[in-house]
Amino acid sequence: MSCQVSEERDYGMLVIVTLVVTIAIWLLLMPVVPAIASATLHRFHLRTSSFAAWAMQFPIPAMYNFANRYKVDANPVSLESSPETIPLDGRMVNHFPARIFTFADGRYLHLRHDEDRWLTIESSYRGQGLRTHFHAEPAEDFGFNLRRLDRKSETQ
Amino acid sequence: MSSISKPNSNLTTPLVHTKQHNRALLSHRLVQGGILLTLIWKWSFFVAANGIYGTIPLNDPFFPGWLQSVTAVRVAFVTAVAAVGLNLSTNRPRLQWACSLTALLCITVLCIHQASYNDMTFVTAWWASLWAMWFVNHLNDPNQAKLLRRASFLSRLIISLILLGGASGKWTAEYWSGEVFTDIYFKDREFWVFQWLRSHFEPEQLRTIATWYSRKVVLVETVTGLGLWALPPRIAAVLAILLLSSIALFSNFLLFSVLFALIGLASVGLLVPRS
Repeated sequence: MSCQVSEERDYGMLVIVTLVVTIAIWLLLMPVVPAIASATLHRFHLRTSSFAAWAMQFPIPAMYNFANRYKVDANPVSLESSPETIPLDGRMVNHFPARIFTFADGRYLHLRHDEDRWLTIESSYRGQGLRTHFHAEPAEDFGFNLRRLDRKSETQ
Repeated sequence: MSSISKPNSNLTTPLVHTKQHNRALLSHRLVQGGILLTLIWKWSFFVAANGIYGTIPLNDPFFPGWLQSVTAVRVAFVTAVAAVGLNLSTNRPRLQWACSLTALLCITVLCIHQASYNDMTFVTAWWASLWAMWFVNHLNDPNQAKLLRRASFLSRLIISLILLGGASGKWTAEYWSGEVFTDIYFKDREFWVFQWLRSHFEPEQLRTIATWYSRKVVLVETVTGLGLWALPPRIAAVLAILLLSSIALFSNFLLFSVLFALIGLASVGLLVPRS
């Protein structure tokens, strides 16, 4: 009996299909709805309004999305001398550009010497862009503290 | 009650091993094998990463404390690998269910942890684990042919979604012009395809090749993302396995860590009865 119920009312399958269709609609609308692209740009820069809102987007696939550039500096970045109207002079990275500091290889490459580093990341998609500045400063005891520098720098 | 959240009572009843049940069991094992390969393909990288996260912690108030913890990422990763490994080898329905749930939860943690959120390995492993969670709950359904057809449909739907996710983020001028792939792959990536191209073509020719390479990627991901799910199971399976394998073979072997879970899912279509 329970087998018949499980076959006739397959709520599990319904949940997965609903999730897939919802995300597919989100993805298909991204090129034409700036708010969706903006949400994804903020997701990429770890600048979503809350961690919960960021985390709930994790099932949305985003491989090699957007044009993402990054630049790491050993000297403080002057926000005034870094206008977002001028494209960032840096290398490309496939997705989630903040990975340059958060992911293992980038963390080792840039932060292993226990010295201050400034990271600028910029992502663009169909005329929309977002630039974010991070400062990784050595913590008093161990590791680094990561701060986002203040200026909002979204362009559209 | 959702069949994802609780094992059915039929999980306790061993099914007589029919040919079709064997196919279902093989499907389960192919997907588990794909997830396992996905998780361990970059084993040496993860071993190195383990040391780096331990010696260079990064305090970021954006993430909750436990999702910055190196212990959390270690436990989640090792437990996921162990759960998938056990799931691959056991025939006990309740243990299969418990392993599937454990893997799904651990991989969810990896998808939102500071140290691993950006790695698409865990996103494809999560989708395959979600499929597996659903599938083990139905592994002993009496109508196995119907189960395999549904399983194949779901797997095609998931693969299409992953490809669509890649495509929609590339519907932008920087990909159509080849600018992104030029910098990521063609300029200095040490991989046989790009090394060979750099040694045989001038920079201007390389830029043109990069443009068409990029357009090919955008078009293939778009077409398969929009249409793979609608193809017959076996045709979709063969096409998906060839496409997914070619992505890694022609751009970066490390991408197999992202693709093995999807290749496992795709192979389910090969096991759908012909009737």
